[in-house]
Amino acid sequence: MPSQEQEQTKITVILPTNAYFTAGIRDFTLNLVKNTTHFGEKWAYRFQLIVDELCNNAIEHGTKTGGEIKITFIYDVKSIEIIVEDTGDGKNKTSAKEMGKLVEERKNPAYVNVGIRGRGLGKIVANWTDELKFEDTPSGGLKVTAKKLLNTPRSEDIDAPIESTNHIILK
Amino acid sequence: MTEVNITIEDVQTGKENTFVKLVTIAGQLDESNVDEKSTMIYELISKTPANLSLIFNLENLEYMNSKSIGYLTDWYGKISSANGKMVIVKAKPNVADVLQVVGLTQLIPIFNSLEEAKFAVLNDTPATPEAPAAAPQA
Repeated sequence: MPSQEQEQTKITVILPTNAYFTAGIRDFTLNLVKNTTHFGEKWAYRFQLIVDELCNNAIEHGTKTGGEIKITFIYDVKSIEIIVEDTGDGKNKTSAKEMGKLVEERKNPAYVNVGIRGRGLGKIVANWTDELKFEDTPSGGLKVTAKKLLNTPRSEDIDAPIESTNHIILK
Repeated sequence: MTEVNITIEDVQTGKENTFVKLVTIAGQLDESNVDEKSTMIYELISKTPANLSLIFNLENLEYMNSKSIGYLTDWYGKISSANGKMVIVKAKPNVADVLQVVGLTQLIPIFNSLEEAKFAVLNDTPATPEAPAAAPQA
């Protein structure tokens, strides 16, 4: 675990674009955060889900079958950053601008989610991170950076009530 | 495919024309298995088109992703619109955490015991669910 303020650890993992591999990166994330960072077990589980959601998004939208995605963990005593990059040759490629707009729309408490999908980034990742950034890469892919600072009010408050239930509709 | 096991059992209700099933999910629900496994619940709902309530036992569910939450939401909509109820019993702290962050716990209560869950689905005034076990602090 980083012991000095300036000490930063960076770990990069390359995964094939196959959902069967995400269980492994989830386990890796859980143990990495729990055992080598200053975040506790609660956040280790949250990052487990954050990484899974980012990877699934990259695999489904951003990279063709048989390709690869890149996951980078950067952490120190104050924060953890998770970066997921795809190659941009997936069938449902989304630009940084489109993705940012989509997430902002779904973060809105007034947004009503009627579908099976659409909660990963807008609800879960956006709520559990302090910064969520989308960038287009020079090679045409999407780079998503999720950052969480250790000592913020949101780091402490796991039980804050959700602002609205309007994201669910009864058929 | 990540391992997950779903079992479905009848729950005795003692009430005519009221059907309650206990759905126990153990393992992990993720992108590799959730679409396939969800068909079991859709088939169950389609076979009992009215007055069906579901109790989801998540005691041994270690992980669930956002799509599995989407399915839970969809099942809730179908069950509720057909005069049924849906509750959860015994979710692990990390699972309860994600259910809470998406707001699902405001529609689908989590109970700490099967008895409380059964009471809630069989009565018009459900037992007050206890707060899920608190997750360890950061």
